[in-house]
Amino acid sequence: MVTSNDVHDPGNRSGLELPKSPTGIAGFDEVSKGGLPTGRATLVSGPPGSGKSLFAVQFLVHGATRCAEPGVYLSFEGNRAKLTSDVRALGIDLDALEQDGRLLVDAQSMARQTVETGEFDLEALMVRMAFAVEKIGAKRVAIDSLESLFAAFGSRPDLVRSELLRLFSWLEDQALTAVITGERAEETLIRHSMEEFLSDCVVLLDHRVVDEVATRRLRILKYRGSTHGRNEYPFLIGPEGLEVLPITSLGLNQQVSSDRLSTGIAGLDEMLGGLGVFRASSILVSGTSGTGKTTIGASFASAACQRGETVLFFSFEESQSEILRNMASVSLDLAGWIERGLLHFYCERPTTLGLEDHLATMRRLVERVAPTLVVIDPVSSLSRGTSMNDVSAMLMRQIYYLKLAGITAVMTSLTEGGSDLERTELNISSLVDTWLLATTLQGSGERNRGLYVLKSRGMAHSNQIREFLLSSEGVSLVPVYMGPDGVLTGSARAAAEAVETDLGLGAEQESSQLSVAMELRRKAVETHVASLWADFEAGESLTARRIMETKKREHALRAARLEQGRQRTVKPEDDGP
Amino acid sequence: MSSPTEVQTGEGEPTPVRLQLTLFVSGAAPTSTHAVRRLRDLCDQHCPSGYDLEIVDIYQQPEVVASRGVLAVPTLIKELPLPVRVLIGDFTDEPRVLAALGLPTATQD
Repeated sequence: MVTSNDVHDPGNRSGLELPKSPTGIAGFDEVSKGGLPTGRATLVSGPPGSGKSLFAVQFLVHGATRCAEPGVYLSFEGNRAKLTSDVRALGIDLDALEQDGRLLVDAQSMARQTVETGEFDLEALMVRMAFAVEKIGAKRVAIDSLESLFAAFGSRPDLVRSELLRLFSWLEDQALTAVITGERAEETLIRHSMEEFLSDCVVLLDHRVVDEVATRRLRILKYRGSTHGRNEYPFLIGPEGLEVLPITSLGLNQQVSSDRLSTGIAGLDEMLGGLGVFRASSILVSGTSGTGKTTIGASFASAACQRGETVLFFSFEESQSEILRNMASVSLDLAGWIERGLLHFYCERPTTLGLEDHLATMRRLVERVAPTLVVIDPVSSLSRGTSMNDVSAMLMRQIYYLKLAGITAVMTSLTEGGSDLERTELNISSLVDTWLLATTLQGSGERNRGLYVLKSRGMAHSNQIREFLLSSEGVSLVPVYMGPDGVLTGSARAAAEAVETDLGLGAEQESSQLSVAMELRRKAVETHVASLWADFEAGESLTARRIMETKKREHALRAARLEQGRQRTVKPEDDGP
Repeated sequence: MSSPTEVQTGEGEPTPVRLQLTLFVSGAAPTSTHAVRRLRDLCDQHCPSGYDLEIVDIYQQPEVVASRGVLAVPTLIKELPLPVRVLIGDFTDEPRVLAALGLPTATQD
């Protein structure tokens, strides 16, 4: 019993999953969940110059060299020499593969000028194909391209169509995995309505110009019987051929390092658990304009050079001399490192090349210079001319690539004024290991630089906002002033600190003054008490004297009365005063 | 019909190059055998200086098919005299065949 679930999600039919043949095209096998359908024909359609032939050749070469599946390349354009030289640029020697019997190139063309004298068919095409396949026991086949076949028999498109149909069904009978290239027309996938015969798997390649910047795109239009990535993926033609750059293809199996690197800014190392960042990690420094992002990047670079490591600095906004001059103003002597061959600059306007080309160039340079640290300043400018989504996808791949190579990546990203600081437009924040946010702290008519660690995986890190000082003595981070009035920076911090100092001094003075006063008062009290005692004592002695005198007078009085009494007994009439 | 050509050769044109032809056919299929017969008839009639016709069976000599870049059958390649011309089809359009091979047509006389 087939449930609706089975029908709608063919990818879930375990055991019934379509067998697939890997193409070896970086990223494509992930997007297509394994490659092209084995034993079926895949149509690769796109305008001239979109990389169709390269797709076909890579598919064959991968089969021949990695999957023990010999391949036949059949072309009608007489382009053998061009093909050989094109793939040699990718490090593939077609001739050697042919000598080993792993590949057969049949690129012989007939003179274009033919005279039709009556009925004919394309049996010779079948014979050539069958002969080549049989000769090397081919499992893979590429036919490049349908267009040239139609062009050769321009007057008989119906015949060509029916003959091709015959060829395709033969390929299917032989269980050959085939790539058939065709040019894309305006309305239909390819001209001459061939798509109805090639419907198992259709891959569209595109080469378009957006904002004057050329970009390449790949999309799997359909893939019968299989799930696949449905998005339009950017791709590039790099040193290893086509590379599709899907987010989903990012594996998570890189080796990690617990080695720590100094950021070149002592205060920042301190904020990052005292040791700095992990080697081969990715560091994002984001912030609005003028927050010192480039300086932080340059500090990383300078610190690495100091350790004797090689650094590759990609600058997409400033020229090398501008950066050298600007960094010299904060005591970062980058010129010295360049002279010693440790620091390499690559400066390019982001618009001069397409995004893919930039990344390809970056990769080539990384391979040549073999740095241990890469600075990309800023990654945000790469987004010009392309949609943010593309840039994210590409950067993810780039970050992943650098990580695998054990290279520490420092990227700066400009946040547009007014937008949320804790959000990168490129959506790469979730991918980076350490995210430093350079911000501005405004107040008291000033704008000061601040820096904080928004996240740093795998280490204890500071939660503080530090003030980021750029001066002729260098770059430093100082703790901001935390007072009752909140966070203060710049001159406000300086003022607040000064006020605090003043207050401290005053208190000291006052307390010493107070203690002096108390001492004086104590003395006064003591004097007062002493004088009171003296008064009291004086009074006491006076009183005692008076008592004595009173007693004396009483005695005297009594004596006088006794005398009077005696006298009265003689003369009583004299009694009374 | 044969007299004008005899006159031409008799006039002693500078060493008339013998026609060198290679014909690719698909085995013994009726269309192929018909095409071969038609070509031979045409050449016998219109090619007084004689001709060499090499017939390649694409099934027997596929490597020759590939090396010559042949796709259609029948394909006739006029190797000599130069320039090399390629004719595809079963030779039903006689005037075009003769013109392509550089042979005089019957209507010329």
